[in-house]
Amino acid sequence: MDLLKWFEVRGKSLFYISYSLHRITGLILVLYLVMHLSYLTSLRFGEEIYESFIATTVTPTFLIFDILLVLVGVYHGVNGLRLILHEFGLAYDVRRPILYLSYFLVLVLWLYASYKLYVFIVGV
Amino acid sequence: MLKVVGMENKDKSNMGRDVIFRIKRFDGEKSYWSDFVVPAQKGMTVLEGLYYIKGTYDGSLSFRASCRMGICGSCAMKINDKPRLACETQILQLNSSKIKIEPLDNFRVLKDLITDFEGFFAKHEAVKPYLIRKDDNYAEPVELIQKPEELHAYYDFTLCIKCGACFSVCPAAATRDDYLGPAAMAAAYRFNIDTRDEGRDERMFMVCSDVGVWRCHFAAECSEVCPKNIEPAKAIQKLRFQAAVHMIKKALKRW
Repeated sequence: MDLLKWFEVRGKSLFYISYSLHRITGLILVLYLVMHLSYLTSLRFGEEIYESFIATTVTPTFLIFDILLVLVGVYHGVNGLRLILHEFGLAYDVRRPILYLSYFLVLVLWLYASYKLYVFIVGV
Repeated sequence: MLKVVGMENKDKSNMGRDVIFRIKRFDGEKSYWSDFVVPAQKGMTVLEGLYYIKGTYDGSLSFRASCRMGICGSCAMKINDKPRLACETQILQLNSSKIKIEPLDNFRVLKDLITDFEGFFAKHEAVKPYLIRKDDNYAEPVELIQKPEELHAYYDFTLCIKCGACFSVCPAAATRDDYLGPAAMAAAYRFNIDTRDEGRDERMFMVCSDVGVWRCHFAAECSEVCPKNIEPAKAIQKLRFQAAVHMIKKALKRW
């Protein structure tokens, strides 16, 4: 067992780097999910506690973390769809253009979602 | 004045230069690095460089090699962080004054660049990489007819030389020793789609197991490093679909 080899990207292609990023983003999303559920669980201890949590994190200061989280989520989602497509045995011969397209999609979706977040939290 | 034929056209930049070979050694107990200077000439391969080191500096340097023309698959090793065949990699084409050479990853190192391939070949054997016929009759063999398009469907996958480059970069193989790996599964797919074969169900027993296709996460690096371009990642994804159909059919039959 050598888990660190998942992240050994020296000399590897963009396909392998995408795999490593998929693993890293997956782990980050699991951690986020635990935090997210902890937030919701805090409701059981009183609305004030929940509100104080929200007042701390849904702020312009935390916006950068939200934007990074969106990047992680969008990457994991789009890359996951690419993998599902190929794992059905489809579109293998065009896997390189699809890989580039998926990165482009990640960028576009991330920028759009970040803009929406900015408007929601900071306002225009 | 004596004139050497062809000398007048010789490009001076290709005349050769000294290249440092940085080799990862293992003596059975400890791992260390050794550096050697190799006078590289145009067309000289990494394997020839290794033979030069063995003959000139250090006779104890160990590596596997046989055919010297990319057919036997013995000399696969990590050259500048990427698995390649030493016999097909030209030193000067690497465009590097220092060449880093290591044994393949995901294999147990026996000595220097020699790794243990026993498990790799056992996995190959486990997927039954041969034609299985119900009417085998060696006393009176019958010719098995096949159309050219049926041959072309699997031909590329027959070119595997079992060098282990694909297995060495596979992240699924890195975390589980008994994972079949790309080469074995490409061989399983090659025989599954052979129209002369009747042993798909026997092969699927291994392929559908927890060490088979379901462990592949499509990092697709196996296809990137394959020196024969046989695209093992493609074979595994196609095999995955076959495996899904096989398992659904099996479940329905039981039901």
